Amino acid sequence: MSTAEIHARLTQVMREHFESPLLVVDASTTAEQVEGWDSVAHVGLIVAVEKAFGVRFTTKEVKSLDTVGDLLALLERRSA
Amino acid sequence: MLKLATERQDYFVLSRKAKRLSLPDGPEFRVALMGDVSTQHLAPLLQVLITDSGLRPVLYEAGFDTVELEALNPDSALYAFTPQLIVILQGTYKLRAAYCDYPGDRRQFASDRAAAIEATWKAIRSRTGAPILQSTFVLPYERPFGNYGLLMSDTLHGAVTELNQQIHRRARANEGVLLNDVDYLAAWHGRSQFIDEKLWALSKSLCSLQALPDVAQNIVDIGLACQGRAVKCVVLDLDNTLWGGVIGDDGIDGIELGDSDSSGAFRAFQQYLRELNRRGILLAVCSKNDEAVARHAFREHPGMVLKDEDISVFVANWEDKASNIRRIRDKLNIGLDSMVFLDDNPFERNLVRELLPEVLVPELPEDPALYVRAVSELNLFESASYSTLDAERSGKYRQQELRDQERTQFTDLDGYLTSLETRARVARFERSDLQRIAQLLQRSNQFNLTTRRHPEAECASMMQDDERCFPFTTTVRDRFGDFGLINVVILRHADSVVEIDTFVMSCRVLQRGVEQLAMNKVFRYAADVGARYVVGRYIPTAKNGMVRDFFERFGFDVWSDDSNEGIAYRLEVERYHPRRVHIAEVASFN
Repeated sequence: MSTAEIHARLTQVMREHFESPLLVVDASTTAEQVEGWDSVAHVGLIVAVEKAFGVRFTTKEVKSLDTVGDLLALLERRSA
Repeated sequence: MLKLATERQDYFVLSRKAKRLSLPDGPEFRVALMGDVSTQHLAPLLQVLITDSGLRPVLYEAGFDTVELEALNPDSALYAFTPQLIVILQGTYKLRAAYCDYPGDRRQFASDRAAAIEATWKAIRSRTGAPILQSTFVLPYERPFGNYGLLMSDTLHGAVTELNQQIHRRARANEGVLLNDVDYLAAWHGRSQFIDEKLWALSKSLCSLQALPDVAQNIVDIGLACQGRAVKCVVLDLDNTLWGGVIGDDGIDGIELGDSDSSGAFRAFQQYLRELNRRGILLAVCSKNDEAVARHAFREHPGMVLKDEDISVFVANWEDKASNIRRIRDKLNIGLDSMVFLDDNPFERNLVRELLPEVLVPELPEDPALYVRAVSELNLFESASYSTLDAERSGKYRQQELRDQERTQFTDLDGYLTSLETRARVARFERSDLQRIAQLLQRSNQFNLTTRRHPEAECASMMQDDERCFPFTTTVRDRFGDFGLINVVILRHADSVVEIDTFVMSCRVLQRGVEQLAMNKVFRYAADVGARYVVGRYIPTAKNGMVRDFFERFGFDVWSDDSNEGIAYRLEVERYHPRRVHIAEVASFN
């Protein structure tokens, strides 16, 4: 999967998860910038992303995520 | 109306729904959540499921791992919250650590823990009457000895097994403690799907998000049972539901019902229904059939597990099923929302859903081998209490059939009532009756003037308050059988006034003179304590319309008092005329 495909897929998952059909995210987007992205929704998002991409992250990986860019990089590494 | 869920839901669907939830106007349901797991993922699910059930959720989430602190501090936020249900959720994660670091003989670990949990229950129960919902512990998956561990006396697995057993035992001995069998849910999902170490590490979650809706639903199911929600009757279709084939076409010898491979399923389903019946759930038949043909199968087919006498009401005709279910409802005198309708035919299910939305109509799978699973999975028969009276209930409806037959022989009501040789025992609350009293207060909706659901502990304190309270019960028998304790009246008096706080009666004894007998008692008591007035109150609900004119029928006048709760009534003690009843009052039934 290409970087663009991963970005598009992740955007789709996040739009659904945060119920925000027009949500636009890029590598610099942080949780504070997305409405509803609190600690509860974060855990849900991780589970939803794992399901959508068919991957499992380690606990440490999840804890190290600060931006959407981190998540994209992680997904890229996993699907490489 | 409290509605039970008839399908299981997805975590993501529920948590999205939670975000745009508008809370209903209905009565509040105040639930306190505490434990050594986090409740942040669970709480939104509970909000949605409680709202779906028709109640207005009000949740209190205690701080992480503060159960003992909250329980032991009389000024804690827990008690200030005035919960109606206290949910204690404990995971195996912290338990595992405690076990591994246990300083003493590990064989004592389970008893130690169980004693500590019980002490917490007692502390809570001494400060609030709200029921406690204690979770069981999920059995761990690791096996340092492999299978041989089952032969060892000091493994974590063994300790958790014993701890759960001790929790069951101790809960039985502690009033007001109910169990939330989380280990059952884990086993049902499969422990490997239920246990989620990463989610525990990230957010101290009890289990995987996928399993969490079931934990929430389990809590709500039990909570609703505490609020009086109970299924009382299962209405059954016959053809392709209780047996394979169509009896009208295939004949008694042609239907599938035996131990052969294809029809073992129907017998298994009937066995499941018979177990429900033994536990006190009434069974009714609602079938498009010729009644004689249908009954013939119950009487003659050797493969039938259910017999004629297991069925409280048998309706087989060619009318629509909604009308027939109403007929069954009238006969049993229960609410439509306490009925479950099981039919293999999607057309009939949809018709009943459409015309009688209060009736619970679960989907039935195409394969009858899965009927028991489909119904059982919905956990429709949750209960907050159980007494032998529950088990005897279906017998009581059968006695009623016999009474109805007798009634047709009399042309006048007095003659009929006299022939029943009814006897009643009227008595102040007694300790041995408290459970049944609380149950009647929880469950009665129709013949209930104020719908005040005093819990058992409060009934006990009223029982002891000789000065200001006269709480009494009426227990009734007649020639055909024992009705048991079917009437509860709570009187309070202050100065010159006796107030009817509660007047509740089981609908099984309507028009038998029991309410007249009880009202005579009310005024005898009022006269004895020198009161001038008896006052009462009718607080309308969706279900108690049958007692709308209760006080008027006894000659009370409407009057206004300080409260604007319902309609207040008053009658001067001197102006009451004792009612004539065809019931002999007895001191005991020996």
